[in-house]
Amino acid sequence: MAITESPAAAVKTPAPAAEPTPMVTIRGVSKAYGPNVVLRDIDLTVNKSEVVCLIGPSGSGKSTLLRCINFLEVYDRGEIRIEGQLVGYSDTTPRRRLSNAELRGLRRNVGMVFQQFNLWPHMTALENVAEALVQVRGMDKGAAADRARQMLARVGLADKADSYPSRLSGGQQQRVAIARVIAMEPHLMLFDEPTSALDPELVGEVLQVMRDLAADGMTMVVVTHEMGFAANVADRVAFLDRGRIAAFGPPREVFHESPDPRLTQFLQTYHERNSF
Amino acid sequence: MKFSVIVDALPHLLGAAVTTIWISLLGVMLGQVIGVLVCVARQSGRRALDVAGGVYVSFFRGVPLLIQLLLIYYMLPLIGIDVPPLVAAIGALSLASGAYVSEIYRGSLNAVPHGQSEAALALGFSAPTIWKRILLPQAFRISVPALVNELILLLKASSLISVVGVAELTRTSQTISASNFRPLEIYLAAGVIYLAINSALALFGALVERRLAQG
Amino acid sequence: MDTNLLVQYGPALLRGFGVTILCWAAGCAIGMALGFVIMLLRQIEVKPLRWLLRAYIEVIRGTPFLIQLFLLYSGGPAIGLRLEATTAGILGLGIYGSAYFAEIFRAGFQAVPKGQVEAAHSLGMPYGGILRRVILPAMLVSTVPALVNMMAILTKETVVLSIITVPELMYEMQTMAAETFASFETILGMALFYWLLVEAVSRLGRRVEARVTRFLSHPSNARA
Repeated sequence: MAITESPAAAVKTPAPAAEPTPMVTIRGVSKAYGPNVVLRDIDLTVNKSEVVCLIGPSGSGKSTLLRCINFLEVYDRGEIRIEGQLVGYSDTTPRRRLSNAELRGLRRNVGMVFQQFNLWPHMTALENVAEALVQVRGMDKGAAADRARQMLARVGLADKADSYPSRLSGGQQQRVAIARVIAMEPHLMLFDEPTSALDPELVGEVLQVMRDLAADGMTMVVVTHEMGFAANVADRVAFLDRGRIAAFGPPREVFHESPDPRLTQFLQTYHERNSF
Repeated sequence: MKFSVIVDALPHLLGAAVTTIWISLLGVMLGQVIGVLVCVARQSGRRALDVAGGVYVSFFRGVPLLIQLLLIYYMLPLIGIDVPPLVAAIGALSLASGAYVSEIYRGSLNAVPHGQSEAALALGFSAPTIWKRILLPQAFRISVPALVNELILLLKASSLISVVGVAELTRTSQTISASNFRPLEIYLAAGVIYLAINSALALFGALVERRLAQG
Repeated sequence: MDTNLLVQYGPALLRGFGVTILCWAAGCAIGMALGFVIMLLRQIEVKPLRWLLRAYIEVIRGTPFLIQLFLLYSGGPAIGLRLEATTAGILGLGIYGSAYFAEIFRAGFQAVPKGQVEAAHSLGMPYGGILRRVILPAMLVSTVPALVNMMAILTKETVVLSIITVPELMYEMQTMAAETFASFETILGMALFYWLLVEAVSRLGRRVEARVTRFLSHPSNARA
């Protein structure tokens, strides 16, 4: 295999020996669009400060699974819990689907970064970051702007605070989108193919910001096609195929020791496409 | 052609033109409010609201303005509301404008990518906040050219309220030409005034559009 | 409304409806023909002619239809143009429509892909043939929705003709309303009638549109 771990992976502080605290627990989650089953009986646990990468061919259900975690997608069966709290449904029997209004409490602790950045084009970078602080956290405008400035500095964009998104490169837009999320101090961050819409030369700057976040102990679930990132930064990798988790474990195991033929084929294709 | 006729009538015509302008402005502003409300109602996901909004839009876009005007003019006294013709006229213009404006906004909302509300939702925004801060400001920007155009359309349409006796530009032209028997000169002058107002508006619209495009 | 009224006013209303349809059809025909000619003339590279046509379109589109009607019907005699109300109405509709139709045709003309015309030129087709066989059909396809829309708008504008006493449906209705003192019911009936009429014109138009553009939806043409 061409995928190698860099020494940087070894530098990352190992998880404390104590019993890990689960941040996200997914139990028996299934989802179908009509006759089309996209998730089948998924089990997955993400521990606090852990980085889990979801990889797999397109249509394997990895993005759907990610979007179920903050209930942008509705799952039909099973349960997802974040810090013990059931996602999307009342914790009663029979359970009742929560409205968007009832989901707000949960969502303000779960940040999401999208493939298409989804910045608001009528606001500057600074306003994009400050908006949620004012509207959701209830901060006053001055304090929100100060905090937004700090966050932009953290992703290396202090000088772009007054630029509109249309004046920023894709990589810069995605870094603003990350700043928008970390300003809210989320307990968990979800990344939905954060570098797939970027020109190749802009991928690195976004991955670097994500590496820094991981090093700071952020809990992250990342859907990605960047196998190098998965190999070097993830604590564990899940390979999804046709709505199932076909392989799960530390990157070394998944990339080098898994017997799953579909995974072997997937990595082979990836390798061929990314070599000269 | 006698230009002295036009010069004599000009103060009256210009005064009436001011009436035409403020009636149209009022109609467009009330139409804005109605249009936004109808548009939001139709996107609310409640079927009854969607159907009611759809019927409203279809009716006021399908029925000639002159008939809408007379309908309101004759209906209000019937249900016990005795209003001056001016109020009926502004009401009719607003209702018609609202139907068009709600469609303009609907089109603009469709042009705002869904991911933007999704990002707001994921950050914990409430639905009203998403409307107020994300959707409507953008829909408004996208709509500006169409809304200026709407004001121009309404200015022209407002000539019809002359039939219920509101002394705006068209009605005043009628009155003057009936007394001096010089319809050609008077209506030409009225036409030039309408044209001047509308050209100014079109120019203004182009300027605003350029400003917003720079943002 | 009782049935006596219908018997009494029925014939007048029917006649009025006939005049409405006549004005609409003739107005559309004149408007389209005039608009088409204007579009063709605008292709000629003579500056004063271009300015003149541009001014014509801007003036028609920048002034209310009612003012145009008054000018034609009441102002006309001053320059020796004495028209009967219905004639003035039809002519007015036609002139009013022509400016809008000209713009629609122009947009359609510009929307014809250059490559198609170049292909015809490279095959050695004469310009007349290219116009007839390549440009016009392509134009028709792209302009039908706008043409239908304009025709629906003209349907609504016919009621304005009642103001200069063209004896069309709206005029007959108002006469009846005045004589019977049943204004509100009459107007309501008119509103519903025109709502249906405009809806019908639009629907018919959409069917014509589907028919004209049928080849576009065929899978083998999807990549055209």
